Amino acid sequence: MNMLSPGRKITSLVCLIAGAVSMVAALVMDFSNSENAARGPLLIIGALLIIAGLYFFPTLKHHRTIINVLFLFPLLFTFAVTVIIPLFLGLFYSFTDWNGIQMTKFVGFENYIKMFKQPSFIWSILITALFVIFNMILVNLVGFLLALLCTSKIKGVAFFRASYFLPNLIGGIVLGYIWQFIFANVLTKLLNQQYSWLAETGTAFLAIIIVYVWQYAGYIMLIYITGLTQVPGDVIEAASIDGANGSQMLFLIKIPMIASTFTICTFLTLTSAFKQFDVNLALTKGKGSLDFMDTYLSNGTEMLALNIYQTATKQDNYSLGQAKAVLFFIILASVSILQVRISNKKEVEM
Amino acid sequence: MKRKVLAVLLVGAMTAALTACSSSDGNSNSGNNSDSSAAIRLVNGKPEIDKQLQSLAAKYKEETGHEVQIESIGGDTSASDALKTYFQSDNMPDIFVSETNQFANWEGNLADLSGEKWTENTQYEYVDSKMGTIGFPYQVEATGLAYNADVLEKAGVDPKTLTSPAKIQEAFEKIDSKKSELGLTAVVGYCAEPANLGWSTGTHIFGQYLDAGLKADDTKYIDLLNDGGKIDDARMQKFADFIGLLNKYSDKALLVDGTYDNQVGNFAKGEYAFVTQGSWIGASLTTNENYKGFKVGFAPYAFDDGIDTIIAGPSSYWAVYSKGNVDAAKAFLQWCSEDSAQNILVNDAGLISPFDNCKYTPSDPFAANVIEYMQAGKTSGWHTFLKKTGLENETCQVFADYAKGSIDSKGFVDKISKVISGYYAE
Repeated sequence: MNMLSPGRKITSLVCLIAGAVSMVAALVMDFSNSENAARGPLLIIGALLIIAGLYFFPTLKHHRTIINVLFLFPLLFTFAVTVIIPLFLGLFYSFTDWNGIQMTKFVGFENYIKMFKQPSFIWSILITALFVIFNMILVNLVGFLLALLCTSKIKGVAFFRASYFLPNLIGGIVLGYIWQFIFANVLTKLLNQQYSWLAETGTAFLAIIIVYVWQYAGYIMLIYITGLTQVPGDVIEAASIDGANGSQMLFLIKIPMIASTFTICTFLTLTSAFKQFDVNLALTKGKGSLDFMDTYLSNGTEMLALNIYQTATKQDNYSLGQAKAVLFFIILASVSILQVRISNKKEVEM
Repeated sequence: MKRKVLAVLLVGAMTAALTACSSSDGNSNSGNNSDSSAAIRLVNGKPEIDKQLQSLAAKYKEETGHEVQIESIGGDTSASDALKTYFQSDNMPDIFVSETNQFANWEGNLADLSGEKWTENTQYEYVDSKMGTIGFPYQVEATGLAYNADVLEKAGVDPKTLTSPAKIQEAFEKIDSKKSELGLTAVVGYCAEPANLGWSTGTHIFGQYLDAGLKADDTKYIDLLNDGGKIDDARMQKFADFIGLLNKYSDKALLVDGTYDNQVGNFAKGEYAFVTQGSWIGASLTTNENYKGFKVGFAPYAFDDGIDTIIAGPSSYWAVYSKGNVDAAKAFLQWCSEDSAQNILVNDAGLISPFDNCKYTPSDPFAANVIEYMQAGKTSGWHTFLKKTGLENETCQVFADYAKGSIDSKGFVDKISKVISGYYAE
C-alpha cells in the first residue's frame, strides 16, 4: 500500500474522466429537457466513478484528507441542497421580478426600496419589535415564576409541571383556532362584551400576546427548572444557616447562580418571538384596522413573518416577499451572532 | 483487520445512501413528459367534489382506457400556491384549476383550446386576448342575496319584487317585525369577519359593486378599478348604504366575529331569511342534519333601482399546461363536456353545467333558480376575480370596520377608495 503502482494511477484517471464525462452528459440531457430515461442512472454512475477515482487518487500525503472529505460529502451535499443553495437563490430572486412562476428581468434594489415605502411593512416591523419586547419580559417572568412554583415543596408538582408544559405540545395553528373560539364565544359572554377581542386591533394584539405567553411559558419554565435544580444544595444550606430569608435566597443566591440560564432564555424568547407565525396566522391572519402614516392599514396585527408570507402568496409578489425575507434573515442572524458572543463571554467568566 | 472491515462497511453504507438519494431524483425526473398513452394529471381546487372527480376519472378509464389522476388541493392551501411549487419542481399537472387573475402569471405556459368542439356548446369559456381560449368552464357558480323561499312566502314577500333598495328595506322591515312568528334569529346572515371570511366580503360581496345589474360581458367598473384603482363614488355610496342595511338587519352574533360554518349552519336551520353566500352552500345545506328541505333562491343585490341580475358564471376554470400532455388533456376535456361526464358532474357533484346541451337538472337546491336567471339573461359576470390579486385582504377590513360601527357609510366609501387606490399604487 505504501507504493503507488502505475496501475492505480491509470485506474484513478480513467475513473475520474469517465465519471466527469457521464455526469456532464447526464446534466446536459437534463437541462435540455431530453426524454432519455438513462440520464438518471448515468448521473449516479458518474458520481460513483468520481468517488472511486478520488479514492484511488495517486497521493500518499492527501489520501486521508480525501477520505475524510468523501465521508463528509453526503452531509455537505444535503446541507448545500437544503440550506446554502436556497439562501443564495433567495438573494438572487430578491433582485428580480419573480412571481413564483417565472422571472422576466432584474430590477436591482427596487424591491428593497419598495418595501421601506410600504407603511404596512413599517408597521409590521414596529409591531414585531413591540411584540418581541412584551414577550421577552412576560414569557421569562411567567416562566420563571412557574419554575419557582414547580421547584417548591408543594403537592402535585409533577402534575403542575406537565400541565404547564402541555400547551407547548399543541401546534400553534390548533392553539390559534381553540383560542379564536374562546375569544369569540366564551370571553364575550364572561365579560359581557359585544364583540370578540380579535375584532379590534389593540385587543387583538393583546390576545396574541396572551396566547403566545400561555404557549411558550411552559417551555421556558422547564429550562428554568433545570437551572434551579442545578444550584448546589450546600450553597442553599449554607445560606439558610446564615439566616437568609426567602427573598434574600432568591435574589442573592438563586438568581445570580442561574444567570446563564437567563441569558439562554432571553435569547430563546427573543428569536422565537421574532419568528412568530402560526399563532398570528390562526388567530387574526394579521387583520385589524388602524390609521398609520396617513394611510388606512388593514394589517394591524400582522407580524414580520406573516407579512412576508402574505406578500409572497396572497399579494402574489414573490420577489418583494423574498426581499423582506432577506431583511428578516439579516435581523435574525445579527441577533444570533450577538447571542453566541454574549454566551461565550459568560462561559469564560464562570 | 477489524478496522478495514468497518471502513468497507461504512463506505458501502455511504454509497448506498448516495445511490438511494440520487436514484429517487432520477425517477421523479424521468416520470414527467410522458408520451400520449400515459396518465394525465388534473389538479382540482375544490376538495368537496374530490370523490365525484375520482369516479369521473374511473368512468373515463372505463370508456376510453386512458387514466386520469385527480389531485385535490384546497382549504387553507390555495391551489395557485401549490401549483407554483409544482412548477418549480418540474412536476406540473396536465390540467389545473385557475382563477381568472392567475392566468396572466402562466403566460406562455397555457395551451390554446380554441377550435375544440365543446367551445360551440358554451358561452362561458375563458378567452384571453393574447393567449386565446385558455379556460375550460367546468361549473357555473352564482351569488346574490340567497333567500329561504318558505320564510319569504310565509312573511308575504315576493322575491321577484326585490329589485330596488326601497323594496328590499321594506321586505327586511316586514320580516323583522315577524321574526318570532317565523322562527328567525335575524333577517340576514351576513358575516364581515375579516380573517377567515375575508374572501366573502372582499371578493364576492365587493364583486356586487363591480357587476350587479350589468350585462355579463360589461366590464365598466372592473376596467375603472384596474385603471389604477379608481371607483365610481356615486355607485359605491349606494352600495355602502345597502351594506349598512345588511349590517342593521344581520345577526349580531355573526356579524363581526362569526364563522362560515355558523353562517351556513344557521341558514340551514332556518334561522335567517337571507344569507350572503352563493350557490356553493347548496351541498352544505342538503347534507346539514337540520335542513328541512325549504326552497331557496337568489335575490339581486339591488343597491340601486332596477338592479335585477345575480352574478353567475364559472368562478374558476380548468387550464391545460402547454408543456404537458396537451392532446390527451384536450381529449379528456372534450369528454367532460359530453353526456356521461356531465351526468357525474351535474347529478353526483351537484355542479351547474355551463354547457347548453347538458340535459341534466342539478340536484343542487339553488340550481333551478340560477338556471331561471341564466335563461332570462339576467346574469352578470364574475369580474371580481380580475381585480388585483390580494385586494380582498385589504378591502375586507373596511367591511369589518363598517360592521363594527366604527365607520359609517360615508366613512366606508372614503376608506375603501383610499385602500384600493393605495393598493393599486404599490
